[in-house]
Amino acid sequence: MDQRRLLIFSIISTGVTSVATQLVTIREFLTQFHGNEITISLVLFCWLLLTGIGSLAARWFRQSSIKVYPILVLTIAILPILQLLAIRGFKEAFFTHGVSPGFYQIFFYILITITPYCLLTGFILPYAQKVIIASGHEFESGTLYLTDTIGDILAGALFSFVLVYLLKPFSTIAVTSTPLILSALALLFYSRKRALLPAVFLLTLLFYYFSTNSRFEISSIAPQYGRIEQYIESPFGRIVVTKEGDQQTLWESGVPLYSGSNIIKSEEKIHYALSQFNRVEDVLLVSGGLGDTMTEVNKYRPISVDYVELDPKLTKAAEDIGIIKKRQGLNIINTDGRSYLKDTHKKYDAIILDLPEPDTFQINRFYTAEFFLLAKKALKKEGLILFSMGYNPDYLSDIWRKKFSTIYSTVSLHFRNILVLPGEEAYFLCSDRNLETDIPSLLAKKSISTSYVEGYFYGNVTAERIKRLKDCLDLSAPVNTDFDPGLISIVLRHWFMEYGASPNYFFLAVLILTITYLMFIRREEYVLFSTGLSVMGIEMLVVFAFQVVYGYIYLKIGAIVTAFLLGLLPGAIIGNRITDISKTKLIASELSVLLLLILFYLWAAFFRTGLHPVFYLIYSFFFSLVCGFQFPVAAGMIGEAKSPAAGCLAADLVGASVGTLATGTILIPIFGIKVAVISLIIIKMSSAIIASVSGKNR
Amino acid sequence: MNTMLTRKEFIKTMGLCASALLCAGPGYGFLGDEDQVDIKGHIFENDAPEEPWKWSIEGFHYETAGETVECQICPNHCALDPGDRGACRSKVNIKGKLYSLAYGNPCSVNVDPIEKKPLNHFHPRSLIFSIAAAGCNFRCLNCQNWEISQKRPEDVQHDELFPADVVKTAKDRGIPSIAYTYSEPISFYEYMYDTAKAARAAGIKNVLVSNGYINPGPFLKLCKYLDGANVNLKSFDDATYRRLNGGTLAPVLETFKNMHREGVWFEMTTLVVPSYVDNPEMIKRMCAWILKELGPDYPLHFLRFFPLYKLSRLPATPVETLANLRDIALKEGIRYVYVGNVPDHEGTHTYCHNCKKILIERKGYIIAQYNIENSLCRYCKAKIPGRWG
Repeated sequence: MDQRRLLIFSIISTGVTSVATQLVTIREFLTQFHGNEITISLVLFCWLLLTGIGSLAARWFRQSSIKVYPILVLTIAILPILQLLAIRGFKEAFFTHGVSPGFYQIFFYILITITPYCLLTGFILPYAQKVIIASGHEFESGTLYLTDTIGDILAGALFSFVLVYLLKPFSTIAVTSTPLILSALALLFYSRKRALLPAVFLLTLLFYYFSTNSRFEISSIAPQYGRIEQYIESPFGRIVVTKEGDQQTLWESGVPLYSGSNIIKSEEKIHYALSQFNRVEDVLLVSGGLGDTMTEVNKYRPISVDYVELDPKLTKAAEDIGIIKKRQGLNIINTDGRSYLKDTHKKYDAIILDLPEPDTFQINRFYTAEFFLLAKKALKKEGLILFSMGYNPDYLSDIWRKKFSTIYSTVSLHFRNILVLPGEEAYFLCSDRNLETDIPSLLAKKSISTSYVEGYFYGNVTAERIKRLKDCLDLSAPVNTDFDPGLISIVLRHWFMEYGASPNYFFLAVLILTITYLMFIRREEYVLFSTGLSVMGIEMLVVFAFQVVYGYIYLKIGAIVTAFLLGLLPGAIIGNRITDISKTKLIASELSVLLLLILFYLWAAFFRTGLHPVFYLIYSFFFSLVCGFQFPVAAGMIGEAKSPAAGCLAADLVGASVGTLATGTILIPIFGIKVAVISLIIIKMSSAIIASVSGKNR
Repeated sequence: MNTMLTRKEFIKTMGLCASALLCAGPGYGFLGDEDQVDIKGHIFENDAPEEPWKWSIEGFHYETAGETVECQICPNHCALDPGDRGACRSKVNIKGKLYSLAYGNPCSVNVDPIEKKPLNHFHPRSLIFSIAAAGCNFRCLNCQNWEISQKRPEDVQHDELFPADVVKTAKDRGIPSIAYTYSEPISFYEYMYDTAKAARAAGIKNVLVSNGYINPGPFLKLCKYLDGANVNLKSFDDATYRRLNGGTLAPVLETFKNMHREGVWFEMTTLVVPSYVDNPEMIKRMCAWILKELGPDYPLHFLRFFPLYKLSRLPATPVETLANLRDIALKEGIRYVYVGNVPDHEGTHTYCHNCKKILIERKGYIIAQYNIENSLCRYCKAKIPGRWG
């Protein structure tokens, strides 16, 4: 392999390792912190921004060295493991053990731990271009973009379809860094820095020793968890089983999902619902079938109990440690709960929902008008659905009133009777049948004995508390729907209140910095900025819409993300092949992006369902194809001398970072999907106008 | 002008950035001494209202130095310039005077079983009228009432019940006791004090449910009207108090000694937070102190922890740990040790310290057996400590 090819191979390998590291890092932060869209947006925002700054920094370097480049390449290959170790290790030093940090703490922690890697990966691409040019070859920005994209696509597909199912994070890094390590070794050999080779070999050996050593990996998460009995990575998150004395705790993505027996919760959710029936035949549990839940359900001797849990690895781990109590007629169904309700023809007496707070798009789908309609269709004539929300029984804050009122308005679209019982959590019972409040007497009639409800109900769930809860509900509150997920913004506001923080200062700072940045870039760079923004924004919207319609199916969502990456390649190839770069072509691409955005808006506003999944893939592919086309065209219009890859890449990355943040944390949760698309359309219109008045044709 | 960086300059800049980050570290607890982490509340500068509102009263215990006032209620000793608000959020300096903004404006009003406080040796089977106003002098990471304890009185929804109204309501409803509870009553000291005084005059008992972080002066005055209390002994380690609660241990211990001296019936509650408050050696030291300073008669409750508020990434306390700590405390010589938040556990019942027979069998708040007569064990006639009515 000649030196030029080797350098190109190293650029592709950099793409591979950087995308794989990005995906592994996002998953790591989701496990370490609050696993909602805010965390994802913050990681992507920091990642893209820092990478953009890294690219920009390369502008300042006039000289490049083939001797330094292999060292940088090797550093990028090895750094991801150190980054993961830092994220895991520093957390215990940085924060109080057991604490969930707040927004600003998460932001700064992300920023500090990923800065070295992101700056370096942003820096190395334009630096690589300089190295290639310095060695006497032609290599334009468009070609650089295309080459890097090949690596991105390979990593995206490899991770989403293979590695996430097979390997743990350290091993994933070991596999995806291998091409880069090989290219670093070969480049060192070519660059006559052979004296360094023994040290580099030793470093490489150490890297593989630690990254493939499962005990080392387990020890890196032990401070957070304690005594680990099982550690499993699934596409949906990290499952850990720990042991504290006789108690086993099942952790899902850093949060204790089941921690010894919690008879209070098991009794409340089961008996408040099932005691309403004279005879219970078919029960559906959407999540929460662990521990004492089945024991309590069994007291009613139902014919069948269907327990739907998304992650098969989670139910397998729970079965292994004996916290799913087996019974005749128990069916464990591993799929998305909402998809199951959509597809099933079975009718249930009771559906018992045991899910976390709706602070993610994924969970919000279980608290929308559309979901309750599906649930009603799956219930028998006088069937009942129960769900709960954690709250403070002694004081109902304004935000809780809003939360409960929104839910109440939403369920009352489909159910005649709604009873809210103020237990340890607020339990919503929704049905067309009459609902009784005196649960202990219903249980006594059935001769069902309980540990908690019998003794504590009358002291905790008093008539006064039931009335107060009911009186606080605002029946005119807006309904929570799939595409206008108002409940998420209430829950997120509540999350911010817990930390006494407001994200407004942060958003203001981002806005000021973005405006300042925009003042200093070229018009064509603004086009790339807006394209980066739109592509990340629309990617979030497409994934969000797909989840709403088809459920959280990891493989298919992975396919959408890959389609977004895949489209960039032919786009960039076409863009690079164009020899007569003209303003008209840039404007045409702008209009194409606008058209695609308008298409999405029309679908979101008027149709919403009925599209085959393949349409999502085709749409994603074409959207990114147009965006991929724009990069070499815009870069070509500016000219390498005026803005080499560094400036164009930076514009694209900064735009992408702002797009991620704005769409994931503000536009969708607060304003809903339609406003989010309209905002993207407005931004793209502005860039189309700017493109039309920009410089001459080349 | 050449604006390009040389490689050397770049490395130098990066070095400076790294140093800045490392220097910032200790500010977040990073690279600092773990035992030094302190989440103590701070005063809020320029956060006071311009004028007192309807539910204000001039503070009962404060000192002045010019326009600056220093609150003397709790060991935080907040020194407030005009316009400042204390760490508890309910005390403010308005024009050189200390005001409480939590007087007659309870944000939570409920009628609870006395066992819910928890109080197992204080008039069992009775109901208690429970009130709270906003504010707290601690910053507990696992606070279940953070929406009232970590809020300003102006920021919560509230009723209007001045001391006389509280007493009248309790009396009209035939409820024999009033509890100052849920948030932190020390932060609404003036409201509690006046209500307790009026309640005593009306023959109604007063119960304090608190973290015990109060100065002896105001507390001794309050004790005159207190009949019972449940005070948290959150741990027996000062570093844990600072780290999880933002307080210190010594003033709390002083509160226990004062209640003992003043003849206020009290029970102690320890929430067993895994990896912080579950060390058997610490519990032994705690029991030794209790026995030495307070004697063996005051009940001790070990409560099961569940992940809550900011402390949501810890497992629940293993029931085995609670049973083990209960055994330790009993062995050390505490006569009445209970387990809480675990329904149907044997540690929820009361056993005679002398004959070990069941005195009170509890099924939640329902009492299935009651074997105390005239404060004596029905079986062996041993005197059972408590207020049995």
